[in-house]
Parts: sequence; C-alpha cells; structure tokens
Amino acid sequence: MSTEPENIESLVNQRYKHGFITDIETDALPPGLDEDVVRAISARKNEPDWMLEWRLRAYRQWLAMREPEWAHVHYPPIDYQEISYFAAPKSDADRPKSLDEVDPKLLETYDKLGIPLHERARLAGVAVDAVFDSVSVTTTFKDKLSEAGVIFCSFSEAVENHPELVEKYLGSVVPQRDNFFAALNSAVFSDGSFVYVPKGVRCPMELSTYFRINAANTGQFERTLIVADEGSYVSYLEGCTAPMRDENQLHAAVVELVALKDAEIKYSTVQNWYPGDENGKGGIYNFVTKRGDCRGANSKISWTQVETGSAITWKYPSCILRGDNSTGEFYSVAVANNFQQADTGTKMIHIGRNTSSTIVSKGISAGKAQNAYRGLVKVMPQAHDARNYTQCDSLLIGKECGAHTFPYMEIKNPGAHVEHEATTSKISANQLFYCRQRGISEEDAVNMIVNGFCKEVFNELPMEFAVEAQALLNVSLEGAVG
Amino acid sequence: MRPDGLAALPKQALETAVSARSPLTPDLPRQAALARFLKRGFPSTRAEDWKYTDLSAAIDVTRDWLAAGAVSGIPDSLADDAAALTGNIDASWVVVGNGQIVGDLPAESGKDGIVVERLSRAAVEPSIEQPLADLNAALLTDGLHVRVPKGARPSRPLGILYLDQTDEDPLVSLQRAVIDVEAGAQIAVIEYHASKGRGGHYSNTQVELSVGDGGSIDYVRLQNRDRAHSQTQRLGVTLARDSAFRHFALDLGGALTRNDLTIDIAGPGAEARFDGLYIAGDGQHIDNHTRVDHRVGPARSAQEYRGILRGQCRAVWNGKAIVHEGADGTDAVQGNHNLLLSEGAEIDAKPELEIYADDVKCAHGTTVGQLDESALFYLRSRGIGPSDAQRILTHAFAASIVRELPIGRLSDAVNTLIDRRLGDSLAMESA
Amino acid sequence: MLRIQNLTARIGDTEILSGLSLSVEAGEVHAIMGPNGSGKSTLAQVVAGHADYEVTAGSVEFKGQDLLELEPEERAREGVFLGFQYPVEIPGVNNAYLLKAAVNAKREHRGQDEIDAFEFMKLAREKMAMLGMDQKFLSRGVNEGFSGGEKKRNEILQMAMLEPELAILDETDSGLDIDALKAVAGGVNALRSPDRAIVLVTHYQRLLDYVEPDFVHVLSDGRIARSGDKTLALKLEAQGYDWVKEAVGA
Repeated sequence: MSTEPENIESLVNQRYKHGFITDIETDALPPGLDEDVVRAISARKNEPDWMLEWRLRAYRQWLAMREPEWAHVHYPPIDYQEISYFAAPKSDADRPKSLDEVDPKLLETYDKLGIPLHERARLAGVAVDAVFDSVSVTTTFKDKLSEAGVIFCSFSEAVENHPELVEKYLGSVVPQRDNFFAALNSAVFSDGSFVYVPKGVRCPMELSTYFRINAANTGQFERTLIVADEGSYVSYLEGCTAPMRDENQLHAAVVELVALKDAEIKYSTVQNWYPGDENGKGGIYNFVTKRGDCRGANSKISWTQVETGSAITWKYPSCILRGDNSTGEFYSVAVANNFQQADTGTKMIHIGRNTSSTIVSKGISAGKAQNAYRGLVKVMPQAHDARNYTQCDSLLIGKECGAHTFPYMEIKNPGAHVEHEATTSKISANQLFYCRQRGISEEDAVNMIVNGFCKEVFNELPMEFAVEAQALLNVSLEGAVG
Repeated sequence: MRPDGLAALPKQALETAVSARSPLTPDLPRQAALARFLKRGFPSTRAEDWKYTDLSAAIDVTRDWLAAGAVSGIPDSLADDAAALTGNIDASWVVVGNGQIVGDLPAESGKDGIVVERLSRAAVEPSIEQPLADLNAALLTDGLHVRVPKGARPSRPLGILYLDQTDEDPLVSLQRAVIDVEAGAQIAVIEYHASKGRGGHYSNTQVELSVGDGGSIDYVRLQNRDRAHSQTQRLGVTLARDSAFRHFALDLGGALTRNDLTIDIAGPGAEARFDGLYIAGDGQHIDNHTRVDHRVGPARSAQEYRGILRGQCRAVWNGKAIVHEGADGTDAVQGNHNLLLSEGAEIDAKPELEIYADDVKCAHGTTVGQLDESALFYLRSRGIGPSDAQRILTHAFAASIVRELPIGRLSDAVNTLIDRRLGDSLAMESA
Repeated sequence: MLRIQNLTARIGDTEILSGLSLSVEAGEVHAIMGPNGSGKSTLAQVVAGHADYEVTAGSVEFKGQDLLELEPEERAREGVFLGFQYPVEIPGVNNAYLLKAAVNAKREHRGQDEIDAFEFMKLAREKMAMLGMDQKFLSRGVNEGFSGGEKKRNEILQMAMLEPELAILDETDSGLDIDALKAVAGGVNALRSPDRAIVLVTHYQRLLDYVEPDFVHVLSDGRIARSGDKTLALKLEAQGYDWVKEAVGA
C-alpha cells in the first residue's frame, strides 16, 4: 500500500512550467556595482538629480551594512560584483507606444506565461503592467484608468511625470537603510510599478503586474509604490516567473504601500520564480521587503501571498497600523519542495488606537525543503484596544523536510487582545485513506487535502488568481506525495 | 568583538577569587571555565536568546562583590529563617545558605533511601559551555549531588532551600545541584529560592537532572526572592526511555529573574509535562525560557505557563520545541497565557517550533489579554464589588494552572504564597 | 462475490484476525456482530485496504480477483465501499467536490465520460432528499463540524451516489438517534438489490430491526465463532456475547 511518504515523494518530478528563456537582445550593464553603476542606471532612465542623489545616499548606506543572517536559510555567499544591475530588452531605446509595437517575442513570452495581456485582459478587466528583467514593458488600460484619475504606470514614467508624488512617498514606508536588501534596491532599482488612486476613487479594475527575470547573471530590483489617497480603494495583483538557469539569480524588490484616511489596499501575490531543480541547482534568491503603512484613520491594508517558487524566499509583508481603527491582514500560503527554503511571515505593528490585525499562514514542506514562518505582533504602549489573531499551520509531506514557526509577540498595552495558535502535522493518513476508499487516486487526494488546508487563504484571492494559485500549488507538489 | 559585561568587571579580582577557591577543591576545572567565561562574557541582548532580558543588574552586583573580595559569609539568623520557610512543608530539607550547605545532609535511609552528598569533581564539570554555567563553575564553593538508586521510591520529597541573606554587602551566590534518578526510581523534589537583605544580590543556580529508564520525577521550583534581588537559574533535564518528568515553576519575587529549562528527550516513551506561573509587579522582570529537544520518538511534551502582570514590569516567555530528524511519533504542545492588568506592564512571548520529522503533532497557543469582561459583569450582577470580582477571576486564572502541581502535598504552601502575592498585587490597584 | 479464506491480519505485533473465512453473494445482506475488540472493524478495514493492517495469511477474492493486490482506490472503483465508523474531517475540501471526484473516478474506471455538472447536482439532491439531508451539506467541508449523525448520513449519501456492488457499513448505527437511524436504514434498504451485497458491522441488534439480514455472523477472537439467520442476532441481544465465547471455548 502506498500511503507511505517514500512513495509519495517519488511522484515529484514535474518540470518547471515557466522555465523557457526568451531569445531577445538585451542591453545590459556589465556585472559589478559602484557609484558609477548607480549613476549609469539613473542616467539611462533620464532621472532628475534628486532621484540620483537618493540612490547614491542609499548606495553609501548599503556599503556600511551587513547581509542579515538571522533567517532560517542557508546559501553560499553572494558576490555582489558578479551581478549585472541593469538589463533591458534592446528595443527599450525607443520604447513601444502601444501593444502593437511591442516586440512580438516578448508578447509570446507573456502568452506562454498565460498573462492576460490582450483580450483576455480586457475580459478579465485586469490592467497589466509587465516588468521584463528590469524595465516595464507595457501598461494596458491606461485610458480607462486615467478617466478615473488613477495613475498606473511604470516607476520610470512616474519619476518623469509625477515627480512630486514619487518624491513625497518614496522611502516613506521602507527607508533606504531599512535593511541590507532594501538599501541595495534603493540604490539600483531599475523599474517597477507605480499606482496612485485619488481621493474617494474606487479603482475600476484590478491592477496587475507580471514580473519576469529573463537575462542571465542579472539581478532584478523592482520597486513598487502604491498610494491610496483618502477614501479610495485598489486591488493589486502581482505575479512572477523566471526561466530555468543553473546559476542562482538575485531578486531584491521593495514594495511600499501607503493607505491614507479611510483608504484600502488589497495586495495579492502569486510568486512562482524558478525554484531550482530537484537537486537544488539554480533558482531565484527572493529577498523582498514589503511593507504597508496604514497612515490614516480607518485605513486597511491586506496582503495575500501564494509563494510556490524561488530557491530562497525571505519576505515579510508587514503593516504599520498607525491610523486609529486601522486594519492589517496577512494571508499566506508558502510551499517549499525539493531543496527550497522559505522564511516568510509578517509584522503587525500596532500604534494607533483600536487597531486590529489578522494573520493566517499556511506552510507546506515537502522533499528536503525548509519552511519557516516568522512573525512579529507588536503592540505599542499607546495602542489602546489592539486586537490580533494569528493562525499558523504547517503541513509536512515527507521525512526530510522541516517546518518551523518563530512568532514574536511584544505587547506593551494592557488593553491588547492577542491570540496566537499554531499547529504542525503531517498529511493525515486517515484523510488520505478516506479519499482513496472513495476511489480517488492518492495524488488527487493529496492535492485535494492540501488545497483544503489552504482554502482560507485562497478565499482571499481574486477569482482568476485563486484558480492560478491552486493549479500552481498542485504543480509545485506534484510528486511530493504518491 | 569584545565580550559583553566584562568591561565593568574587575578582571584581576575575578582571577584572584577563582585562584583563592582552587585550594578548597583542587580538582575542580575552574581555570578552564574562567578562560571560557572571559572569552565570551555575560550574554547580551544582542543574542537571540537574551533579546528581552538585560543582565546589567546581575553584572553590577557581581562587580561590586568581586571588588569587595568575593566573600560570602553566612549570617547567624539564616538557620532560623530557613526553618521558618520550610517548617510547614513536609520534606527532607537541605539548606544552602549564601551558596554553602548549612547543617547536616539527610542520611541515607534504608533501601528506599536517596544518597545526598557534596559535589564530587565529575559532577561539577559544566555539562554545557554557556557563560553563566562557566561563571558558576569557576567560582562555585559548594554543591549537591543527589542520587536516587535504581528502583528507590522515597516516600518524602527532597527539599532544597536556596536561601540568601545579605545585610549591607553585595553578595553573589553560586549554586549547583546534580540529581541522578536511576532506572525505575521515583522521587519528588522541591527547589525553593528565597532571599532577604538590603545588599545587592545575584544568585546563579545550575541544576543537572537525569532520569533513567522508567524513572520518574516530580519537580517543583518555587521562587520568592526579595524584589530587589536577581537570579539566573538553569535546570537541564535528560530523559531516558519511558521516563517521566513533571515540573511546576512558580516565580513571584526577584527584580531580575531568568530561568532556563532545557529538556532532552533521549529515550522513546519519555514524557515531559512542565507548567509554570509567574506574577510580576512594579520593578520586576521575569523571564522563562524553555526548550525541549525531541531526539527520539514516540514521546510527549506538554507545557503551559501563565502570567499575571500588574505595574511597571515585564515578563518574557520563550518556549521552544525542536523535533529532530527521525523523532517520529512526537507530540509536543505549548501554551502560554497572560493577563495584562495595568499600564506599564509588558509581555514578550515567543512560542517556537522547529520540526525536522514528519510523523509529529505539534501545537502552540498563546494569548495576551485581560480578565473576561462578561465574567466580571456576571460577578458584579451577583452583587460582588469590582475589586473583589477582579480578585476572584485573577485567582481563578492562576488556579487553573496550579491545579497541575505535581506534588499534591505542596498545594497548601503554594496557594498561600500565591494568595499573599496576589493580595499585594491587587491591593496596589485599590490603593 | 466476496470470498474470504483463512484471513489472518495484524496491526503492529498484535494479531487481530486469526483465520477468518466468510463468503458473501450478490443480493445478500450479512450482519457481522461481536464484542468490542473481536476484529469487526479490522475486517472492514482490511477489505478496504487500510495500510495499518498487515495481512499475514489467507486470501480475499472479490468478483474472482485478488483484492489484496489492489490499491485502496482500485478496490473502490471495482465496487467496494466502506462506510467508516469514524468518518474523518477534511477541512476546506468541499463535500460536493469530493463526491463528484469520487463519482468521476469510478466512471473513468468504467470508461464512461465525466458526469455532467447539472446531472450530478440533480442526482445528489435526490439522494439527499431521500436521506433527509439539508442541501447545505454539499457546500460544507467534508464532515467538517458535522454531528455524529450527520457524518453517518453523509456516508450513506456517498454510498447512494457511488452505487457500490459491495457495501460494508462499519458501525453505521452507532451514536444515532432514532430519526437518524431510520433515515440511514431507509438509505440502506433502498440500495438492496439482487446485484449488490451489503455487510453490516454492528455491535447491537438495533439496526437489524430496520434492515433485515439474511445471515448473521458472530466474531470472536478474530474468527467467526457462529453463523445463523436473524434469530441469532436476537439471541445475542437477549443473552449477550459471553455464551458465544463459552460455546467456542467448550
């Protein structure tokens, strides 16, 4: 009888579906990092002086910082001089003005990725900004969005066209020297997405960005900034893939969200960077800083993430609950198979009065993977009547993987209600047998049970993303059980 | 990097103190322990395990004590005070005053007897290389070795009272006990910490406990030190096949208290149940770190700590369960519940699980909150005044864990201590 | 249809079945009774293929093929259904989803197309009405938060949808109030047919008041100690199990 995990593991041999390489000419800076590289990046983007100065300040601070070592991940030292800090499809020199002008090969890439860039996008009502290697390639639905007053463009365009907004908010949530990777990003970020939703506007469609690393030996350092002005609402989706390469590639992004009074931001991620092969060769190092600032009263920021990819994931989408009555949410599914390592979680910092936060984390470990939840719930002395509920569950598939939970609770106000629950167990033999007795194959049964385990998180995703997330989960675990 | 907390320490006086102790027991490996300590110094808040606990108060006392010649006399009144503390607890008592065994050791009594001796060399070798254990080993002058022979089941608990007294002078007490419960043996042990006196005081206790195949121990630690004094205490437990360890820890006193309970599950079928209650008030810092290593399975560990905090105080609870590769059939549960009853009180809780085996069931639950409003209202609607209602519910919160006290005959004494402490704490509120 | 010969099985080092033999033909209803620990549930689990039990001797044939060679899902698709004594909760997995997946797995095995979604819902509603089940059960997680009676009705619903050739109901009557018991019995009776065999594993006579068995077997120490018709069940009810043991021991 094959309910034993050994058999279960033998099924993992699914090839990475998004692992193709797009053969297009790229215009890349040679590997290496110094002030000249920072200047060169800024120059290529025709940035104003203040932007260059901002980058240089970040670079100088980065020089004095040390790579963090506290996470439950292990990897050989990264040589930051061997990475190329800028790569753009060649045609960037004269950027496409519409979809028709976009290099067809690029469009083909997005087609392969299943990105709804054309009609499918229109049908789905999704506006897409696609970031390929380091530059933003195209943004759909600009007209419809501008009618509503919503600004959704590449970061470079924002610097050019809305410098006052960028200057006001950039680094206001994640300061340049916040951490090693954030500082590096601040110095060399190449592009990303920018969203501004004006007062009282409910963004008429889901906004979406797809990221892809294509060029070899390239790091991707995108920067996303979303500002929801008073009383506004926006839902933002982010998807990521990368080709299969034997070398590890670095991805160090920064995402900053600002929610002003009565505003709400919903940020969903399906992260499927190349995880490396079944022997742990290759894969993306995903070192990302994501933070939202509930700056105004009654504001809300909700993070939902489905993390199936990357060789190493190091990210903690967080909420600073500054405004009174503000709300932070974090819903996460993190899957680690083969040799993947994930150290992910969130921080909820309660500052305002009557703030509340919810954390639901579902970790799945299979193969030889290590999967850690790391979270902080901090209630400051002035944060009266703060509420937090945390549910943190881990599922183990196989004998050689690890599942870890490192929650920190620092409570300094006597009115706080904080509740944390966590469980870890292997996939239940009884559940498997029950399904199989109903004629369902072991693999289907496992998918069914794992999807059920993640349901609370999938429920938070917009419909089309939820479907993609479920499919990804099945692919990631294929063979993990059998 | 410079070792922590050493800059302030008179190194010469430390070396002199260690050398001066060497002739007493020439075979103790003091110099090696000192060398290790000097290399690393005291744990600092930069270390993850010490993130929330600053040892400055203990370091300051150590400095003053060393500067004053590192002497620890025993006041005449100590024996009487010891008798008063132990009088109503039925046990065979050993009194350790200011780090020295005071009076006689219990004699071996028949086949059920236990063997209590002064420490031999083998037992003094620190079992872990950790700065506080090294400091202890370097300066220790006396200690206990308790052996419960194979199959022995003494009917009375063994009590060890650590009583420290200093009128004016700074005092550091180094204490160590090694307890071997051999196969099939069964015993109850009470470890009682108390102190008084106006002088600064720091107590450093190291306890090594091993339980052999099928052996069992009920272990209660009571801590009710003067609220200006500091202690660090470590209890290291190794559990063999089918052995059982039941523990209850009560922390009421002390300005700075740090307890480390580390349990090594080395034999299948072992079971560890450990609970605790801490009550902190103004000026107190109480830190409980527990760590259980499940090295083999099947085995169970379960813990629940409860805390009541009122006033300018801080409590830390860090529970860590590590399930090592191959420890299948592990069942590990952690619980930590805290009542925060006033402004200025802070709790830092960290329940950790590190799991490297798949056939496991692990869970933890942590809560931080206040007394249940609806229960308060219910009591008040029955005519009970708000402060009485609060007192009743706070007691109930404590009682639900004191119920787990493994040594039944201790419950009167423990409840008296808790009542007195909660009485102080709640009186403060109405004042 | 089902032929068990000299079946010996153990869990860990404990032998639970010790040379059990039993034959069940299509159209028959058998009741297997016996005291706690006599091996009733083990027999049901072994026939369904639970991995915890190791078969050390004997054979189990179903429709002429060696059942022990098959994976649990293959046995199910061949037509073996086990109504669990303790149906497991599967949080987050929709009841309808599981049911549909099970129906389709069986259809695929028979070379049939997947069931049409409309057709499936219609069928499910019919069966649920018959069992007095609320429609909302379909959208809830499998057995998640179900009461004991709801879980057992859910087992019967699955059986009704899957139309097995051999249904083994393990203590399906335990923990039911009288209404639930009648509903479950009604579901079982509705499925009685000349092509189908039903094995009721039960501790008490109670269910047999509503579902009349053709044969009654008493298990003791891992084998069948006595077989008879429905009167045997009544005798057990009146006299308890001890006399069976005495009779065997004698």
